[in-house]
Amino acid sequence: MSISALLSQYGDRYLQALFTTWKLTAFSFLGAFLIGILVTVLRVCPVKPLRSFGDFYVQIFRNIPGAALLILLVYALPYLKVLFPYDVCVLIATTLIPSAFCSEHLMSGINTIGVGQIEAARALGLTFFQMIRRVIIPQALRSTVLPMTNLMVATMLTTSLASQVPMRPMELTGIVSYINTRSAGGVAAFAISAVLYCATGLVIGFAGALIDRKVRILR
Amino acid sequence: MKTSIRDMLYEEPGPKTRKNIRIFTILSILLIAALLAVIIRQFAVTGQFAPRYWNFFTRWTTWKFLGQGLWVTIESALTGAVIAFVLGFLLMRGKLRRNKILHAVSVCLIEFTRGVPTLLLIYFFFLIVPQTGIKLSAFWKITLPCAISACGVVAEALRAGVNAVPYGQTEAALSLGLTETRLFYKVVFPQAIRFVIPSLIAELVIVLKDTTFAYVVTCADLMQNAKVLISNYDAMLSVYLVVAVIYILINYLLNKLSDRLAFRLKTGTAERSAA
Repeated sequence: MSISALLSQYGDRYLQALFTTWKLTAFSFLGAFLIGILVTVLRVCPVKPLRSFGDFYVQIFRNIPGAALLILLVYALPYLKVLFPYDVCVLIATTLIPSAFCSEHLMSGINTIGVGQIEAARALGLTFFQMIRRVIIPQALRSTVLPMTNLMVATMLTTSLASQVPMRPMELTGIVSYINTRSAGGVAAFAISAVLYCATGLVIGFAGALIDRKVRILR
Repeated sequence: MKTSIRDMLYEEPGPKTRKNIRIFTILSILLIAALLAVIIRQFAVTGQFAPRYWNFFTRWTTWKFLGQGLWVTIESALTGAVIAFVLGFLLMRGKLRRNKILHAVSVCLIEFTRGVPTLLLIYFFFLIVPQTGIKLSAFWKITLPCAISACGVVAEALRAGVNAVPYGQTEAALSLGLTETRLFYKVVFPQAIRFVIPSLIAELVIVLKDTTFAYVVTCADLMQNAKVLISNYDAMLSVYLVVAVIYILINYLLNKLSDRLAFRLKTGTAERSAA
């Protein structure tokens, strides 16, 4: 099939798929970001068990393959009487995995903050939480804009996991297999999704570079 | 590790803080224990500890079968990684060329492979390549898309390594009369590859994770063999948990290796520049 024939027949569905991918990406990234910050705070706090818990969390979700996590959530958890709808399972998987990477980025962001700053904050009498909120997190965030941009693209790529469960509406990867089971969509069906993915990724990358130029701390 | 900023964040705690930390430590231990207890209770209540779900793991044949799957996974990941390295190397060479067309093509291919999810490429090889009449075995249907999806990242990693080699090396080599090709292969690349070995190993982890999708093309990897086990023993949860743990352990060890090499590299160069 040609691209124009595909677009006239499935154009609406592609548009819907694109929005679904965007929506999944946005929600997952937001969730991953918040959880990532929380886990990072746990990982630097002075309470040892919480630290170990944070490290453990990151190692688990950094190293588990997305497919394995999704399958566990969708097919294995119901055996524990924990039953989520398909889209919630997808959202959990596409949030937890990036959240671990988010925490890793934040940790390396924290590592770029000089020890002198910590000493200065302490000398000014800031409490631990004041220091975290006013000195560490702002700087860690500012120096991690580019890794976070890459994380957002990675999150977008992770949302293709949704094609592995019968989730409606479909996202950009699911629609390719949907079209190809109905008619021989050929290379064009694949190319449309690929272009939409790449375009989204480029826009995210461009926006990230712009923000980075604005907020980066030059050392 | 005392070098980590983690331990610099707070000064030696006084008696009051020490007491608070102790209270929070006990509270957090209780909290984590409660979390574990809830999970274990849920396993017990739903009968997932029943021996029939776990007994077959004591059998040698179970592990042999999972091992066969794991071997296919490793084979696929390593083959994919090698292909990704070769493709990534070519793309990196293309991007660093002064030839405008070659440069533009390489940039486009790198951005394309980095911007498209592996699953989409797998569907391409699974659904669309057969439509053109090309027949691939299940192994290649999973290995090729994983390799292609990794090659752009490998290209960028290699390029970063090449750029990290000090320019004085290039000048020195050129003034010694080396040709550009010999300069690259004898001087720049051997140093660049050392810089990027950690990120190449990290990329191997990503390829390995991507091969989990092998069940899409029914390639008999670890995940696919796990499915067979599940239908044989009707034990969904236990098998998937064990398989997930296997994946996590392998990836964890690879990441550890990558971190250690990166650390050695950093301290190694620091020592040399200090000397």
